[in-house]
Amino acid sequence: MIADHSAIVARGMGVRRGGRWLLRPVAFGIAEGVVGLAGPPGVGKSTLLATFATLRRPHSGRLDILGHDTGDTRGRRAVRARIGYLPGRFRWSRNMTAEELVAYSAYYKRVRAPAARDVMKRFGIADDSRTELALLPPDVRLRAGLAAACVHEPELVVLDDPLEELYAGRGAADEAAIAELIPLIGALAPTVVVSAARPERLAPWCRHVLTLARGRLTQYEPRPTAPATVPTMPTVAGGTAHVLAATGAPPHRDGAPAGAPAGARGRPDRAGPPMFPAFRAALPFRPPRLGAGRPAGSGAGV
Amino acid sequence: MSELGRVLRLDARRAALLIAVPLLTGIGIVTAWLSLVPGVAYWDNSTVILIGSVRLLGPVAAGVAAWAAVRERGLDYLRDLSPRSPATGALLDLALLAAAAMIAYGTVTAVVAVETALRQAAGRPSALGMLAGAAALLLHVAAGYLAGRLVPRPVTAVAVMALAGAWAAVRVPGASWWSLLPPAALEEVELFTALRARVLADQALWAAAGTASLVLAYVACTARRAVLAVPLALALAATGAATARLHASGGDAAAPAPARPACRHWPLQICVHPALRSALPALMTAVTPLATRLSGTPGEFTRVVQRPAAEPLTVANGTASIHLDDALTPGYEQRAVQQIQNALADPRSCAAPRHPGYRELVDAWLLGRRAPRIADATAASRFASWDEERRRSWLRTNYAQYRRCDLGPSDFRPPRRLPVRVPRDRR
Repeated sequence: MIADHSAIVARGMGVRRGGRWLLRPVAFGIAEGVVGLAGPPGVGKSTLLATFATLRRPHSGRLDILGHDTGDTRGRRAVRARIGYLPGRFRWSRNMTAEELVAYSAYYKRVRAPAARDVMKRFGIADDSRTELALLPPDVRLRAGLAAACVHEPELVVLDDPLEELYAGRGAADEAAIAELIPLIGALAPTVVVSAARPERLAPWCRHVLTLARGRLTQYEPRPTAPATVPTMPTVAGGTAHVLAATGAPPHRDGAPAGAPAGARGRPDRAGPPMFPAFRAALPFRPPRLGAGRPAGSGAGV
Repeated sequence: MSELGRVLRLDARRAALLIAVPLLTGIGIVTAWLSLVPGVAYWDNSTVILIGSVRLLGPVAAGVAAWAAVRERGLDYLRDLSPRSPATGALLDLALLAAAAMIAYGTVTAVVAVETALRQAAGRPSALGMLAGAAALLLHVAAGYLAGRLVPRPVTAVAVMALAGAWAAVRVPGASWWSLLPPAALEEVELFTALRARVLADQALWAAAGTASLVLAYVACTARRAVLAVPLALALAATGAATARLHASGGDAAAPAPARPACRHWPLQICVHPALRSALPALMTAVTPLATRLSGTPGEFTRVVQRPAAEPLTVANGTASIHLDDALTPGYEQRAVQQIQNALADPRSCAAPRHPGYRELVDAWLLGRRAPRIADATAASRFASWDEERRRSWLRTNYAQYRRCDLGPSDFRPPRRLPVRVPRDRR
């Protein structure tokens, strides 16, 4: 069963590119919290995340984001203002500074300049705001990208392999930067979908991790003996694990889960991420013509 | 700076815009400069050159715009997820590309205008003509950019440029009314004619309404705004109306237009089209000897007037008419003198002269050339022995035969001396 109030609800959704299925038609739902999406390069993670961000249309089926049918123009337009999206190796204009990137985003998100400056402070880039993005360290540059993507305080944030550059560094400073960024990412919005090439990088701090391979989404089950390669999520202050399948309770309007302390919204300047996710997947979905897999909605909840 | 101004400034740093302005400016100036008619500065021809430069500028601008739409989408992840209209980003891009194209076009216009003004310009600059060229360029930018948005593939830029180039190339000047559709293929405007303001206005309307139609259709489809159907229908109707009016023009972009001549008044009065006023001194020097030699004859003239090429040349009532080519190619003054001399002959009788050669003898003198060799050496030597005053006197006497090409040996003999009768009272 898929809860209707999940942030992302896919029904028979299939994604194709270049004549092949990146995701075969499937039904699943993603509720609150940080959900990881892992898979090797080229498997279609970026395309799937862009579909979640409504920037691509699914090839088949229906995709509801934050309660709106993205196949409908009005619904898609209404929900886009509530989504934050940072593509992999996000780009910026030549000579653009962090401040300019955030201001540029703020214009399109209809956020006033003072509010944009507050966001920069909260993301810890106020001191570097006038430095060109190309000259900033990767972690500060990522903070600027996150600030631009989330300047409007979205309800759903989709991040395409944001820590890739830092993982490639493999230095102590990079590990420290990753440790600082993980709680920041977790607190960006009530629902955060983040991707990485390897699931073990996501498992320690994501509520659930899905792996995408050969057109199918599967739940990642970490091996008990596998050592963690990334810092783990710090202890949540006031957060409540919220599994929709168990409670069926909808999230609070301002993004905090039911039962969470008042005002515990996902603000990066707060002491730690306030919430954890609930993810629910029903896999696989039987495509009408393919005749494989189980019927829609018959998958087990997570 | 406003938030919108800051966004536009950031977008203006894009590579396509930084490349577009110098690229289009350079192409436009080179194209216009090569088309300028040497020695002549006629504003209508400058307008034709400006509009003609769009035939090359337009395809390049369309290609650059399509390239910008295809390649420069690095910040679309911020622009597309917006509560603003989905067309906002595209419209801002279009505004910047249009501004870049207009900067380039404005620079080309300024260069052509200064060059024309420095050469003692004739006529008046046509704001409608400049507007028609600008509107045609904007149409290319809009069409190229929207094509790049709709088909975001690198080949789109090449295809757009090729299509726009083909559209400009297949329509040659003066072929049909199709040539008047923007970017118009206009013929060089002859002197004593001018571009028709109505045609230029229709061209500007066609291009502007076409641009508006494309943009409105894109916004209506992207933003799903049904209310835009009304202005879209109006823009399409305006395009159709402009097309019908251009079709009704029959392909004629120019119409006869009187021009107040530029004149010199001494020793002769010579008047030419103001675009050719630089020819006056040379014409005066060349024509004056002929006028002097014809003085006292029925072919006498004291006034020389340039006429449109379609009008016949005459020498009558003291006025000789001439034709001048617009480019004032070398030898134009001698050709003018020859035209006057040719106009002195009676075409019917001169078609088959009874005594060929005698008239050429006189023509050579009138034109200041070396006398030709003719069969009648006696007549030739006799004529050569006469001084200037005697030749003029002789011409006054024999002008009728000269005009009819009826000169013969007897006309060159000295007058027979009759016996002088002494009055009886003196005897």
